[in-house]
Amino acid sequence: MESAVIENTKPAMKKRKTISDGKYAILLIAPAMVIILFFALVPLFYATSVSFRHADLTMGGLQGWVGLDNYRTVLHETKFWSTVKTTLEFTFFAIIVEMTLGIFIAFLIYGATWGKGWIRSLVILPLAMAPAVTGLFWRYLYDTQFGVFNYFISALGLPWHPNWLGDIKLGMISLIIFDTWLWVPFVALIVLAGLQSLPKEPFEAAELDGASTFQVLRTLTAPMLAPVLTLVFILRTIDLLRLYDSVATLTRSGPGDTTETMTYYLYRQGLVFFRMDYASTMALLFMFAVIVASGFALRPLLSRLAKRAGAR
Amino acid sequence: MLQQKESKAFVILRYTIIALILVAILFPIVWLILTSFKPAEDIMVSPPHFFFKPTLDNYIYALQKANFLMFIKNTLLVAIISTTFVVVLSSLAAYSFARYNPGGGNVLFFILTTKMFPAIAVVLPYFLIFKEIGNTGIGNFLQIGLDKPGALIISYTMFNLPFAIWLMVSFFQDIPRELEDSARLDGYNRLQVLRKVVLPLAMPGIAVTAIFCLIFAWNEFLFAYVLTRDAARTITVGVESFFTLRGILWGPVAAAATISVVPMLIFVLILQRYMVRGLTFGAVRG
Repeated sequence: MESAVIENTKPAMKKRKTISDGKYAILLIAPAMVIILFFALVPLFYATSVSFRHADLTMGGLQGWVGLDNYRTVLHETKFWSTVKTTLEFTFFAIIVEMTLGIFIAFLIYGATWGKGWIRSLVILPLAMAPAVTGLFWRYLYDTQFGVFNYFISALGLPWHPNWLGDIKLGMISLIIFDTWLWVPFVALIVLAGLQSLPKEPFEAAELDGASTFQVLRTLTAPMLAPVLTLVFILRTIDLLRLYDSVATLTRSGPGDTTETMTYYLYRQGLVFFRMDYASTMALLFMFAVIVASGFALRPLLSRLAKRAGAR
Repeated sequence: MLQQKESKAFVILRYTIIALILVAILFPIVWLILTSFKPAEDIMVSPPHFFFKPTLDNYIYALQKANFLMFIKNTLLVAIISTTFVVVLSSLAAYSFARYNPGGGNVLFFILTTKMFPAIAVVLPYFLIFKEIGNTGIGNFLQIGLDKPGALIISYTMFNLPFAIWLMVSFFQDIPRELEDSARLDGYNRLQVLRKVVLPLAMPGIAVTAIFCLIFAWNEFLFAYVLTRDAARTITVGVESFFTLRGILWGPVAAAATISVVPMLIFVLILQRYMVRGLTFGAVRG
């Protein structure tokens, strides 16, 4: 009896020391925010300061302030613009191929009547692969002499002996094929999830009304799938723009400089030629472009998707 | 979508195309694993050999001669410690964002913005900063500096944090608020609610996030390539050490790549159900 009484009164006796919800919320995010702010913004400010100075690591490192000189030099350099062009070209063609193929595969799997789970598990496997390691191995697959791709081509009886990584007309295509192999599963998987989460009723109604398959696709599927498609499109575009790993291991910016993307050029300027001033300047310009573009594109979409997900 | 009755021919066509796509997707992975078990004389041959006597020579070479064990050890160390940091920090933050949304969405969006930073733009200042820190006493003590594991741990923590917070917010949102409210009424204080009610319920989401972070850290290349030279090298960069002056040793390359890839293949299969959610930062729930 006695103990029961004590237990009953315990919560009431204990004086609640509480802080407001707002303070508690800030306390919880504080450690993560400190890390993010510190390790994202300090390098950013550092890079900004380097971009206004003369910084040749082979000749005494950080030196005097030069104002906007580095920006002028970089923006007047033909090489810089040619790598920008290469990056945009690669992004443009790769995104078209990956989106088309990915949507196609998603519809194929969506319509499959059996084995869907198995097909899905097999399709996603490339997503586990490190681009750098896989890119390295693909050099063996692309090899003109021992490569298995050219073996298949000749086994099919085609009179074609492509030099995948050596022909200046093919280097970019080889890179796109590799990137497509690696990332089509990403597009397919997310589009498939989008398809599977579509509500059933409008489609049943359309069927009753005798709508054609094309009409349904155009008026129902496409608009309802649009947010997911846009999200995939933006996420892929950002990743394509900042692609580095596979250029570094698969093509090494070659043949010639046909696959020299901005990121690769930036790397070489900074850590091969040790011109940290130019590299930092380009890095900032590049970062600014990506952040502004992706920020504007992603913001409305993500908040809408997040809301819809939260409502479920 | 309409699930119309398809004609038999159409079904066959669909599965034929699916089969072809699966072959295209799986072949490079299968070929990688096969090559890793091939004796040297079956690798540099034209036409390629599909049948051969399997051997472990490539693995023995990679593990003994090329210091690959050290690369594995480094990768594990960096991936596990950075993931631990990320999980602790991000689960607290994500809980706060999911419940109280401090900053009204702006802070959360700022966090995502840092995830959009091109890694190459961050790695250059990191290189310069770690170069300076590495020469100081503190840098030496904490193992932070060029070619020290601390530099990679910091980099990966920084890079995975935004992702982890976003993904975990979506998991915390799934936990009914009523459970917390009734726990509060039962006399639990805030920390007890978090420890005894919320975190146990969020465990699956936390585990999923952790595996994603492990995969990203394990597969990362650029930071490892720029910030390490030798002692702190990780697997993704270490594979390149079989590119010798006398040519590329494809057997050991394949063996090393297989060691790097197979654990991640298993992880991805475990994560299947959550892949879509993870890859879209929690925005799309598969």
